[in-house]
Parts: sequence; structure tokens; C-alpha cells
Amino acid sequence: MPLVTATPAAQRWSPVNWRSLRFRAWLCAIGLLAALPWAQAAELAVLVVISERSASYVEAADALTAELERGGLPRADIVLMTSGEYSAAPVAMPRLLVAVGTGAANLLAAKDSRVPLIATLLPPSSFEQIVQATGRKPSTGFSAVYLSQPFSRQLDLVRLALPDARRVGVLWGPDSQVQATALQSIAQGRGLQLVTAQIGPGEAAYPALQRVLEDADLLLAVANPQIYNSSSIQNILLSSYRSRVPFVGFSPSYVQAGAVFAVYSTPAMVGRQTAVMARNLLQGRGLPAMPQFPQEFSVSVNEQVARSLGLKLDAAVLNERLRQMERAP
Amino acid sequence: MSRQIYLAFLLGWGAQATLAQDAVPVTEKDFLNDMPVVLSVSRLPQRLDETPGAVTVLDRNMIRLSGARDVADLLLLVPGFQTSSSFEGDAPQASYHGGFSAYSGRIQVLVDGRSAYSPFLFGSVAPGLQTVAIADIERVEVLRGSNSASYGARAFLGVINIVTRDPVDTLGLRTSVTAGQNGVRDIHASFGWGHDSASYRLSADRRGDDGLKGSNGHNRISRVNLRADLRPLAGDELQLRAGGLVIDSGVGFAGNVDQPLHDRSFDSSYLQIDWKRNLGADADLALSYAHTTENFRDNFFFALPAPFNGITIDFGGRASGDTLSLQHTLRKNPDVRLVWGAELRAEEVVSRPLYNTDAPQRTQFTRLFGNVEWHPVRDVVFNAGGLLEHSSKSGDSFAPRVMVNWHMAEGQTLRVGASKAYRPPSTFESSSDLRYEANGVLLQISSLSRGNAQPESVVAREIGYLGEFPRQGLSMDVRLFHEQIGGFIRRTSYLLPPGTQLFRNSAGGSQTLDYVNAEDFAIRGLEYQLKWRPWVGAQLVLNQAWINFGSSDVGATLAAPRLASTLMWTQKLPRGIDLSLIHHDRGPATLQGANVQATVLRTDVRLALPLRFGSRRGEVAMVVQNLGAPYQDFKSNLLFERRAFVTLRIDN
Repeated sequence: MPLVTATPAAQRWSPVNWRSLRFRAWLCAIGLLAALPWAQAAELAVLVVISERSASYVEAADALTAELERGGLPRADIVLMTSGEYSAAPVAMPRLLVAVGTGAANLLAAKDSRVPLIATLLPPSSFEQIVQATGRKPSTGFSAVYLSQPFSRQLDLVRLALPDARRVGVLWGPDSQVQATALQSIAQGRGLQLVTAQIGPGEAAYPALQRVLEDADLLLAVANPQIYNSSSIQNILLSSYRSRVPFVGFSPSYVQAGAVFAVYSTPAMVGRQTAVMARNLLQGRGLPAMPQFPQEFSVSVNEQVARSLGLKLDAAVLNERLRQMERAP
Repeated sequence: MSRQIYLAFLLGWGAQATLAQDAVPVTEKDFLNDMPVVLSVSRLPQRLDETPGAVTVLDRNMIRLSGARDVADLLLLVPGFQTSSSFEGDAPQASYHGGFSAYSGRIQVLVDGRSAYSPFLFGSVAPGLQTVAIADIERVEVLRGSNSASYGARAFLGVINIVTRDPVDTLGLRTSVTAGQNGVRDIHASFGWGHDSASYRLSADRRGDDGLKGSNGHNRISRVNLRADLRPLAGDELQLRAGGLVIDSGVGFAGNVDQPLHDRSFDSSYLQIDWKRNLGADADLALSYAHTTENFRDNFFFALPAPFNGITIDFGGRASGDTLSLQHTLRKNPDVRLVWGAELRAEEVVSRPLYNTDAPQRTQFTRLFGNVEWHPVRDVVFNAGGLLEHSSKSGDSFAPRVMVNWHMAEGQTLRVGASKAYRPPSTFESSSDLRYEANGVLLQISSLSRGNAQPESVVAREIGYLGEFPRQGLSMDVRLFHEQIGGFIRRTSYLLPPGTQLFRNSAGGSQTLDYVNAEDFAIRGLEYQLKWRPWVGAQLVLNQAWINFGSSDVGATLAAPRLASTLMWTQKLPRGIDLSLIHHDRGPATLQGANVQATVLRTDVRLALPLRFGSRRGEVAMVVQNLGAPYQDFKSNLLFERRAFVTLRIDN
């Protein structure tokens, strides 16, 4: 595995122009190839379908193809297109389908199930919904690489960064029973106690938030668009800060907004891991039946917020220690 | 936008519509989308161990546990403060390092950043301390020590910064009722509503009691406050505040012709608009406008022998202020943070009785301020700042401040620094012309300023220590100070030309009063606060202040006690019951309203039981203030007697 490095946020997430230019050039080349009769005849190894043409999906797809190329797969054997393009003009079936994002995964999972499919850059709940909707079980021909982090990793980081914290506040949205049970047992195993509040469909989060902030030593955000979104985040972060309860986010944007820290994987990290899975399949080894969480990750700390809360946190140190913890048996 | 729709938007009606959507599933977008910067540079205040001065924070929990019914009473818990609950001056007052007179005008009071200092009469923080109900306060930050470098002339000896609760934290209906001895009758109701991009609170309350024993009593404070926080766009925040306050009090004494029993009324209102724009994680811009008005009605009939029927003695008038300020906060790099800005303030005081003219007494202030916080090396914070003030009445002055904070060990900080500040004479001190006429005859001029008073100055030097010992559950804040006052403004009498006025003093002179720069003296001493959590659920807070006045003036030699101590013990008991005990022991000090020294020995106890009404929470609390013998407050004939009262509070 490539080593994790704590790179500056700007480098990781900026939608760099050259990238989209390269992407456009790529699409042109693909279009050209597809138009030629002899290209149809060649066996296509991997078809990568991205949910939409935006920076994160392109970043994942770029990392995926670069990694496959590095492993010796000719670039011509990889075709990249968006969901829209795929729906408009389906191409000949490849040896492997890769769906980048929930939209693409939904689209591809509903099609021919004889071709192996990797769904990548999506959270577990999205994958589980696809499994339910299509009846297609995770198998050696159908697997996933998640974008989100396992609870165990998040709680390990909490213990490293906030060793005195015992009570982990969590706001649960609707349909989070499975997650709640999982987090409960993982927390227990680490000597942590959960302070939770349930928010029903359409219900406002503040009363629950206030109850949790009263008793919790930190607030662990679990992604749920009803609770955490760009308009609600202001009040949540301000209320947590007022209560001096560190807010632990789940993406670097939350850290920039004011979360004390977060562990996350970049689309490129997820893309590279998907490439490893894809390479194994192309070499005849099949897909892992259990979907994978990202192995590569990064820890980001908002030093100003941490400092203001009287916490001394170093992203590089936390990153290294968390990685060592996962390596240890 | 039509007016109705606009109003509906402004008040957040239809807010529920945005919430009642179907559940949206989690997707990768929740992890990949950008978020607006929320905790931007100006939202992250300096840490207490990095501020250029001593700060005592009284948070909501401490406020609740204290049982205090107003901010003045609460300030008993701050080292170096003297308080009074008397309404004889204008309202219950608080002063830091010296209660020099019936009015406390050498500290500043801010409510959510707006000056609530009353410019009427001598200048006073007392009415401002009553601006909001104690239930609507998130915390009170007291900056102990001169802070003119940040807040202008009125922060001469310190600042009381009242921060109200965020509307998001006070959604729904909250009410409380207090009743007890001494005619204590307080009632408070607040309603909050809104959604993510707009939240509101409307709160109304009344605080009433019969005052000190020996006083005319029946003091009623009625307030209405509205706060609206709007976020029209990500990165922009607009806050509107408006409110009003009426203080009705009974003052005076039976049989006292100079101050007979009568009613007095003070009212004030304000409008404040704050707009904050986020310029990224490292820069913010804040623009603020505030308008304040106040009216003072205080008059009584003074009988005179024939041929005069009598006259009306009046101290009434009105004052208003407009402030426009712009502030830019930026972080140049992780080690340098800068705040700078400008403020324009116009004040107007109109009072025929006090100034013998209907023309407004106008003062304009122009202020430029800045502070740089710099970490030259790890563990050292250097703060340097200043405020340049131009007053249309007293010219230019510059108030600088330099402070170095050294984190000498984990959790321990040593602070050393100095500042200089000026306080120009108040409108009354510089322009008083208080005269009484009857039948065209000038009976008396009781105060006539000759306009000679120059701004008084203070050079404050301090050494501070902050220690945090989490293992022992201990924290401490020590301040050793030397505040050199120059040209202290004091009332003095002088002789008018013979025959100016009809009334003469016993020696036959034609005397009146003025304000002049009197002696220079130093206020030296040491104060500390110790917080200790000795066992589970307990907290002990001990404050002590030794203050030594170098003044040779009789009135000012003991303007503050040589030693004052406050011990607060709070204990969480089973079933969530909170017990608080506060003991205050103040050595002899000159009373604010009389040239008499008195001591204070007061013990308060509070017992509170949490309540639940379905999903609502509440509390019933019993408070007894001053368990022991009555003590003299403000004047020797006014006594603070034991007061027991019960509060029932219901939150949303």
C-alpha cells in the first residue's frame, strides 16, 4: 500500500483546471475510439462510469486508471464515461464494470449481472440500498469500495486525539438503526459511552442537539443530509463551540468549516484501492465478497479551532499513530 | 417583494415548510461537498491565557447557580468589584476598583457589542446592566483592568461585556416566575422561532421588589428585547436587535426636603444592526450600527416661603447616541492575528434643568483602533494595540496597550503589560448649569461647570498569572496591579461673585459646585480567583481582592475595601439537586451614596430541583439572600435585609 501522507487541503481537493482539460481530451479520444469499427472488435477490459462530470468523480477515475496503467493495463483497454453518456449509448460489455458514485452504481447494478461490477466512492448505506433494490448480493462478481470511514477508525482517532473524552455525542437521523447498533458495540469495546438523540423525519435537529451537547464530551458527526448540510452546519458548529464540545467531522470541508478534526479518504485514495480490486479481478481472482472501507486515509485538524478549545492536536502525528494502530494485530 | 411577504420572510413564517421534506438518503455528496466556513477568525475569540488582560467569565451555569436576579448582583462574584442593590442613584450599580460616587462611570458596559453606557448625568453603567433579563444571558465577560485600547475612553478601569443567548438555543417558549419576601415579583417569558437561515427571539420580563429597608421601595424594571439572526447567504450574517427598558423606582426619604419621597422613571430603547461578512477562514468584516435613546424623569416639588410658592426641582432630560463601526479581523499567518477598525459615535444630551438650555449638548467621537496578536516563538503571545480617539469636546487622545503572555509551563501562563487611557469629563462634569429660579429671581446655582476639567488618565501596569491544574481540578487567575490615576475628576465647591444667588450657605458665601482635576493617586493591589473541584459534583470558587488607595481625599481613601472575599460553593446532589452557598465578606469601604464607611457580611443559599413536564424541562429554586444580619447598602440608612424567594422556571 502506498503510504499515507498528510497533504495540504488545497492540494487534495482543488478542482484543478488541467485535470478537467485532460478529462475532456480523454472523452474526445474515447468518443473517437468508439466510433471506429476496429475499436469495437478489441476486447474492452474496464468500463468506468462516473455519476457526473465533477472534480471528485474525475479525481477517483483518474487515480483508478493511472493505477491500472501502472499495473500494465493499456490505456486503450479502459473506457471512461458519465452515467448520462452510458445511458445514451451503451457500449459493448467489458470484462469489468466500475461505477464511481451512487448514481452510476444504481445504473450499472440494474443492468446485466453477468459482468462483474465494482461500486466505488459511495457510502455503505447507498450500496446496501442498491443490494436491496436489485436483489444482487455482494459476491465475487459484485463488490464495493466505500468512501466513508469505518466507525472503528473514527473512534480510535477520537481516543488518540481526545484521550479524556468518554461520552461521544451522536445525532441519529431516520433509518439509522443498523448504524446505531454497530456504533454502540464498537464504542463499548473502546470504553466509550454514547450520548445519542434520535431525529425523526422532517424534525428539527436543535432540541436534540442541545440535549446531546449538555452531556457529551464531543460530538461525532455521522453523515445524514437531514441533520448535516450546508445550511444547518452553521448552527451546529456554533452551538457545539459555545458548549465547548469538540465537533468531529467526516470530511475535510467540515474541518475547514470549523470541525476540530476528521478522518477521511480522498477520491484518489478510493480510486487507487478500486484499481487494486479491479486488477485482482482481471487476473482471475474475483472480487472480495465483503465490500471494503478505504485503507488509505488522512487526518485533518483545524488548528485554530483546536487551539481555541485548548487542544493540542497535530494532524501528522495523529495520522501516523492511527495508521500504526491499524497495522498492529 | 410585497410588504407582507417580506414581513413573513423576516419573521420566519412558513419556516416549517423547509423542514417537512422527505428523508434524503446519504450519498457520497455528503462527504464531498464544500461547506461554508463557520468558525472563522473573528468567531474564535482569544483564549483566556492569550488575552491582553484579566478576564472573568460568568457562564450560564454560574449565573443560574448564583441565584442573582440581575447583573449587578452577579458581579459580586468577580474579584475587585463592588455592587449595590440600591435604586437611589439610578439603578443597582457595580464598580471596579472604586465606587467613587452614586454613579459608576469609569467602566464600560457592552451588550452584544453595543455600548449600553448611559451618557446622561454623570455617566453610568447601572441602567445598562439592566438591559436584558438575566434568563436571556449566555455569559458575562468581565475584562478586569483598563481596556480603552480596545473599547475607548469609558473602558477606563474595565469592561462588562454581556453576551445574550443565541436565538437557536432559545427556541420555543420559556417562562419563569419568581416571588418572595421584600415584594420580590419577577416574571419572564421568551419565545423563539425560526429555522437554519433565520432565527428569532422575543422576550419580555419584569423584575420587581420593594428595595432596601428604609428606601421608598417599589422598584420595577420592565423590558422587551427582540433579536433576529438572519443568514441570507452563506458567509453573510445579519443580526437585528431592538428593545426597550423602563426602570420605575421609588426614591427619597420622608421628611427630607432635598430628597423627599417621590417616583423616578428612566427609560431607554435601542436598535442595533450588525452585518458580518466572512472573507474566508482567515478574514472577516463586521459593520455595525446602533442607535440608543434614554429619558430620565426625576422631579419633585420644593416648598418655599412667601413670596415664592415653591419650585419644581428637576433632574430630567434625554440623551441619545448613534454609533457606526467597521471592524476587520484577519489572520496573516498562524502566528499573527490582526484586528483593526474605526468607529464614529455621536451623542446628544438635552436637559434644560441640568444645562440651563434647550440646546443639545453634542459630543462626537471618532475612533481608530487596532490590535495585533503575535506569537514570535512558541509559548509567547505578544499583544500590542491602541485606540486613537478624537472627541469634539476634549480633543485627541491615544490609549496604547502592550502585553506579553508567556506559557511558562503546560497550563501555566504569566502575563506582564501596561496600558494608558484617558477619560474625558462627562457632559455634566464639563457643562453643568443647574440653577433654580422663582418669580424671576435666581435662588441658587447648585452646579456651574467652568469647563476647566481635562480628561483624567490612568497608567495601568499588571502582572498576571493563570494556572490550570486539571489533575487537581484546580485553576487560578491572579492579577497584581498598579493603576496610577492622573488628574482624578472630582466635585469641588467654589465661590460665585457676591449677590449672584439669593440662597447662601451658613458662612454667607455664594457657593456652587464644579468638577476639576484633583489629585493624582495610585490604586495598588492584588486580586485572585481560585476554582477547585475537590470532589465529584462540587466546585469551590474563592475570590479575594486587596486594594490600596493612595488617595488623600477623604471620600476616595476607601472607595474600595482594603480586602473583599467571596466564596462560592456549588454542589450537585442526588436527583440533580443543585446546592449553592455564597459568602461575601467585604471590609470597610465608603458607601457610594454617602460619606460613611460600612462593611458587608452576606451569605446566600440556593437549592434547586430540576423538573420535567413531559418533554419540557424546568427547575424550581429557593434562594435566601443574606441569611445573617442586615447590612448597610449605598447609604447608612438603607439596609439589605434577608430576602427569600422561589423561582419556577419552565424551558422548552
